Amino acid sequence: MTSPTPSAATPFEAAPDNGAVPPASTAPPHGGGTSSPGRIAWRRFRRDRAGVVSAYIVLLFFVAGIGAPLIAKVYGKDPYTTYGQNQPGLLNQFGFPIAPNGGISGDFWFGVEPQLGRDVLTLLLYGIRNSLLIATATTLLVTALGITVGITAGYLGGRIDNLVGRIVDILLAFPSTLFFIAMWPVLISILVRPDQNTPTWLTVVSLIAVMTAFGWAPIARLLRGEVLALREREFVEAAKVTGASAARIVFRELLPNLWTPILVQATLALPMYVTTEAALAFLGVGLSDPTPDWGVMIQRGAQVYQNDITYMLFPGLSMVIFVIAFNLLGDSVRDALDPKARR
Amino acid sequence: MSISRRNFVIAGSVAAAGGSLVLSACSSGGGGGGAQGGSAASATYSKVTVGTAKDSTGPAPQVPGARKGGTIHALGPDDFSHLDPQRIYFAWNSTVANLYVRCLTGYRIAPNGSMKLVGDLATDTGTMTDGGRTWTFTLKDGLKWEDGSELTVEDVRHGIERGFASFTTEGATYVQTWLTGSTDFRSLYKGPYGGKHLDSVVTDTAKKTITFHLKTARPDLDWALAMHSYGAVPVAHDSKEKYDKDPVSCGPYRIKQHSVDKSMTLVRNTHWDPATDPIRTAYPDSVVFEFGPEALQATDRLIADSGTDQYAVMAYSGVPAERIQKVIGTPDLQNRTVNGLLTGLYYYAINCRRIKDVKVRQALNHAWPLEQIRSIYGGPSAGDYATTILSPDIAGRVKFDVYGKLRNPRGDTAKAKSLLKAAGKLGQKIVYTYPQGGNDAYDKTKVVIVNALKEAGFDPVVKPVESTSYYDQVGQIDNTFDVMWYGWSPDWPAAYTLIQPLFDGATIADNAPNVSQLNVGWVNSAIKKDAGVTDTVKQEAAWAALDKEIMAKEAPIIPETYQRRYYLYGTKVGGAQFDPLFSAFLVYKLYAKS
Repeated sequence: MTSPTPSAATPFEAAPDNGAVPPASTAPPHGGGTSSPGRIAWRRFRRDRAGVVSAYIVLLFFVAGIGAPLIAKVYGKDPYTTYGQNQPGLLNQFGFPIAPNGGISGDFWFGVEPQLGRDVLTLLLYGIRNSLLIATATTLLVTALGITVGITAGYLGGRIDNLVGRIVDILLAFPSTLFFIAMWPVLISILVRPDQNTPTWLTVVSLIAVMTAFGWAPIARLLRGEVLALREREFVEAAKVTGASAARIVFRELLPNLWTPILVQATLALPMYVTTEAALAFLGVGLSDPTPDWGVMIQRGAQVYQNDITYMLFPGLSMVIFVIAFNLLGDSVRDALDPKARR
Repeated sequence: MSISRRNFVIAGSVAAAGGSLVLSACSSGGGGGGAQGGSAASATYSKVTVGTAKDSTGPAPQVPGARKGGTIHALGPDDFSHLDPQRIYFAWNSTVANLYVRCLTGYRIAPNGSMKLVGDLATDTGTMTDGGRTWTFTLKDGLKWEDGSELTVEDVRHGIERGFASFTTEGATYVQTWLTGSTDFRSLYKGPYGGKHLDSVVTDTAKKTITFHLKTARPDLDWALAMHSYGAVPVAHDSKEKYDKDPVSCGPYRIKQHSVDKSMTLVRNTHWDPATDPIRTAYPDSVVFEFGPEALQATDRLIADSGTDQYAVMAYSGVPAERIQKVIGTPDLQNRTVNGLLTGLYYYAINCRRIKDVKVRQALNHAWPLEQIRSIYGGPSAGDYATTILSPDIAGRVKFDVYGKLRNPRGDTAKAKSLLKAAGKLGQKIVYTYPQGGNDAYDKTKVVIVNALKEAGFDPVVKPVESTSYYDQVGQIDNTFDVMWYGWSPDWPAAYTLIQPLFDGATIADNAPNVSQLNVGWVNSAIKKDAGVTDTVKQEAAWAALDKEIMAKEAPIIPETYQRRYYLYGTKVGGAQFDPLFSAFLVYKLYAKS
């Protein structure tokens, strides 16, 4: 795990530990006396080596995903051609790569996919691209929606809070996966004519929409609780007394104190959505072949690992690295923003 | 006619215990090894013939080296769904029914897998008169129930009449329909419990004969009567619905103990006389079924081969995909397997109502990528390429290859394209559907199918249907699919049971098996004509010729594979043989080595 940077945090430790960061405007000057809290946090973050390495790794994944078509062009393969099926000598009669290590060769750097015989490297790059696109979009939407609803409910309280609380309860209790499996074919049959292929963008949009619709409840509930505790604090009272608007109180007083749970939730959510999306795909309602998908690859790897461990290794290892790096990054960002929440 | 699809679906979905739906051996694994993976598919197809009275006399041929005594264990994922013979239709129930149910006729299976229809309770396979409308069977002497009472013709008739009762809807319906001339036979006769007997079944206690008077000519009644649905039931011990829990045995074993979903112990029925039974050998003193172990778990136990598992076999679930490579690739394990083809055919039905042009249907047959599809199923270990409607174990089947699929299983997309061009249908839209959810192999085969169709100049559209409602949706007459994954398993190894339900235009209805919706005059009349031929050899030849003619002239389906299944058994099990009928072990032929 990361170690917080003690030296940079010293001035804060002298302050009485009341569990909340005072409003930004009252933050004590640090260093030259002109640094904004953002700059301080940035400086703190840069000193956290694990955080910086994780950031680079995460960045690498996003670059690889975004640049997948370019890389595939330079590399000379695409994730749709079934090389193993078309060229004899790549797959044996059981449909598994003949060459050792999953068929790794000068032509196929990461080997050949069992049975369909597609190129694993491009498949993985495109899979990362698709999965990250869906997971990132969902995480952003879920977080935005969760923040809005959570803070609104917590700050306003009363009947709105009650209403939101019940909606959250229902959503948390709702069997969303089952719902999606049941509704998906109906939705598709309404939206797509029976003699037409289901467009991939429709699948992606509906995946994001459904995961967002059922995903915002936990974060909203968490933030509501935090806001309930915060809104009785002296600094909020003080702001109210000085005549600050509701918007100012929410954005300037409450939100800065909520970044920690938000960031933790979001960094946990992103890898979770990658796996959720894969699970849905497995149940036949998400992305499906021939559209490459990271999670689907891992699932396939788990089925064939006894005969072709290599095929599981690449998507599996890259997923592990990505998830760990993302979580470490989240930790570091949290440490940088809020050095007092020490572990 | 009957929906024997049910037989098919369940026979397959038993394998679902291994994790996949209809195809069990299908997404099987291969190895990183050389191109020569396993020695699968050295198939000698079972031949089916009708035996004589001499063939029907017991005792059954002895297995060389067999030892009497001991216990055979059988591992299965689930308990049997029915024990009442009249309620048995599914293949896996028949695995155990073989041990305690006897019918008028039965199949004597030779060590090489060839089958002979012989008289089981009857002295022979019956005497047909009146052009197939009247059948007479004579019972053997010395037939007894497990309590020592005599098995009479009344008991045999009772078994037929119970098929009309309100609680036996799970069973087969062929004979009931033929006896009454109506598919709604339950409204005409309510079963034997009102004290009334069927007029069309006449028994003669003194001569020990039972005579069937059918409404239509059925030269194949002897085949239909071999189904366990027509097994004998003692009039004196019939407990109606409760008979399903505690059936009375007339076979070599009786049920001694049965804990539902846990285990079932069968012990020797001392009143069974081997001299009356040309089919069963019955060496072990008892057979114990253990329910619970999934296919993968059972395979691992048999690989480990310790304790009583040395005497164990896989009851009815085959070696699953995850272990097939290991089992076939290890000589030690491979020596402990039996394998065989599932009865029936897996194919793609072309919707003839939507695709009216024969040239397009032929082009689809040419383009279809069989080799790519089978390699996804697991290569030769998953089955053999199909080119005919009749599967290899159908009596009289003749192999042919109209579309050159055996020469070029990868598909001839160039030929397909030229056919399409000739028909002026380049860019023809093809809506392809398959069941989604149970087995992800079809999600893979879809990819190679789409690639091949595109190459051949089609415009493929993929519309998977959720697997639980799949059969209902493709069964609709007005469905919007052009090519549908499908399969069919016959109830007895005669061509009629495949060609009539699948291609007779008169049977087209919602949820009827004729999903190709082929309704062509010459096919319909040929089916009617061939079914009435009383000479077996001539009839079989006629069906084989019709098989080829339908494929060449109408191309209503794309045959895919005859699928293969592997079973593993322990080191101390002898006499292991694949049952070509119910696609599992022939339990009555097993023996425990010392």
